[in-house]
Amino acid sequence: MIEPRRRWWRGPRLRLAVGIVASAAIVATVGWFWYGSLVPSTYSVMDMGYVDAGGGPAGGHDHAGGTSVAELTGPVDGTPDVAVTLTARQEEFALASGEQVDGYTLNHTSPGPPIRATEGDLVEVTLVNESISDGATLHWHGLDVPNAEDGVAGVTQDAVPVGGRHVYRFRADDPGSYWYHSHQASHEQVKGGLFGALVIAPRAGTGGIEVVAPVHTYDGRRTVAGYTGVQRVAAAAGEQALVRVANTDNGTLRLSVTGAPYRVVALDARDLHQPTDLTDRAVRLAAGGRADLAVTAPADGSAVRVDFGAGAALVIGPSEAPEPPAAELDATVDFLSYGSPAELGLDPGAADRRFELRIGRRPGFLDGRPGLWWTMNGRLFPDVPMYLVREGDVAVMTISNSSGEGHPMHLHGHHVVVLSRNGEPATGGPWWTDSLDVEDGETYQVAFVADNPGVWMDHCHNLPHAVEGMIVHLAYEGVTTPYLVGGDADNQPE
Amino acid sequence: MKATYQWLARLIAIGVVLQAAFIAFGMFEISNMVGDGKAFTEDSDPTAGIALHGLFGGMIIPLLVLLMLIVSFFAKVPGGVQLALATLGLVVLQVVLGFVSAPAPVLGLLHGINAFVLAGVAGFAGGRAGQATSPAPRAETTAAA
Repeated sequence: MIEPRRRWWRGPRLRLAVGIVASAAIVATVGWFWYGSLVPSTYSVMDMGYVDAGGGPAGGHDHAGGTSVAELTGPVDGTPDVAVTLTARQEEFALASGEQVDGYTLNHTSPGPPIRATEGDLVEVTLVNESISDGATLHWHGLDVPNAEDGVAGVTQDAVPVGGRHVYRFRADDPGSYWYHSHQASHEQVKGGLFGALVIAPRAGTGGIEVVAPVHTYDGRRTVAGYTGVQRVAAAAGEQALVRVANTDNGTLRLSVTGAPYRVVALDARDLHQPTDLTDRAVRLAAGGRADLAVTAPADGSAVRVDFGAGAALVIGPSEAPEPPAAELDATVDFLSYGSPAELGLDPGAADRRFELRIGRRPGFLDGRPGLWWTMNGRLFPDVPMYLVREGDVAVMTISNSSGEGHPMHLHGHHVVVLSRNGEPATGGPWWTDSLDVEDGETYQVAFVADNPGVWMDHCHNLPHAVEGMIVHLAYEGVTTPYLVGGDADNQPE
Repeated sequence: MKATYQWLARLIAIGVVLQAAFIAFGMFEISNMVGDGKAFTEDSDPTAGIALHGLFGGMIIPLLVLLMLIVSFFAKVPGGVQLALATLGLVVLQVVLGFVSAPAPVLGLLHGINAFVLAGVAGFAGGRAGQATSPAPRAETTAAA
């Protein structure tokens, strides 16, 4: 019998060939995604991602000509009504209640000194960097300042190196509660204490007791204006106190007020219209957001308590009143229907631009690292949208979130008004915000007026997420930035 | 090649055991922290146990299973490619469960159970490779005639 000739395409040689091809395919695919994800160490935000003109005119994304961000400054002349010098240091410090923290200070304290101004004042703040080796900047969270004063390293300025200084000048146009913080390596520096409160009082004044309450958690210890534990604020029976709460942490803050009804009179430095009394309802305050609470000490001489979670609280009332027990309320205020409607000042129906921001999550590589990363409109950083507007445009943006967790979205330089949530229209006092908590599964429709030219960041204020690329930009036609992320100044805004 | 396959499979099974150890460590670190008066919040650094669990689960074990799959093409272990693919599928399932459990914590139960399934399959694959390397001597039952 003649043995049939071995066919080369059967048997072990084929197996080997298939094995090599399959392995090469796996390695090549993984390698291709890995390589494609790498981000250069120095780049301009103007080159990042893609431009989304929202259905409006798309011209003017020039690299030459047009206006530079560096020209969009605050008032150059004029004697400041409020002049402050803040010296930033990297050092160990003690909280007001005594605990030691290794972090960052401004004028040797954290929180840094509160900056107070009155509506209309010209404010001048000089930032001096004495010892922060990574550099530092100051950003005025919620204050819609001219772009060059926004303090974002790599976008509106270079980070201030050790030994350097930067002068910020802006007019305090909108009264309300704000806070300031570094926007260089912000996830580290804000956490480490480089922040402070900023209060702009209305011309008529507020009268009565005012408590400025920036909340910050240092190494697991929650503080209110620098103190852990329970603090007492002396108030006579029936006296009202205005508590200006700022959430400087990465997570949502739950404010539980017990002992008396209270009202939320302002959110994110915008007064609410005809707010009503609240009982047994907490305020969920987004990271970066501010809530002004009008709290009245009960007429019977007892005290009212504001709980901030993790053992931090304010007890407001006569000093001899017993301390009410700690409380954490489950029910929350829904700002979609709180207060009563008022003029928006813009017509969303006549929007010039319609934008969409879909927040998600998927596996992939982020600058070479494998993991499950945040996506903005389906794409990973740096392939994120840059929303283009022209000065004067009315823009409507639909923000939806299917990423598995909530995100506090913060747009610089502008306030947005909430039009609807999950299709339900807003029926309360106009909900103007600059730090909006978009929960998993929610869709918000918001509108804003493009009245502040520049290149503006719009990012998650759970800062570690921003580091993971949860960033988009709002850019005005004809405006470019000469600054670079990375570069000689080693700018790292997040 | 068979030995490489065997060791990769075993490392994956050991990796699952380490994952359980890491997450228990991480949880106890949290309870210790809380007992010390500290709050565990969005602002807290992940504890060492949680960080290791994330590193091994997100990077090291997936890398090992990809290597196991590649090696399986050349190792000539009976059913080796299928077992590697099954292990890969279970690792993918485990990672997906790890992330969808954040908004839906009850799914964490499946993440826990799947860990045992994954360790079992990886261990079995390693055993199969071990048999193929050194088969037990068989009684000769030739019909010699």
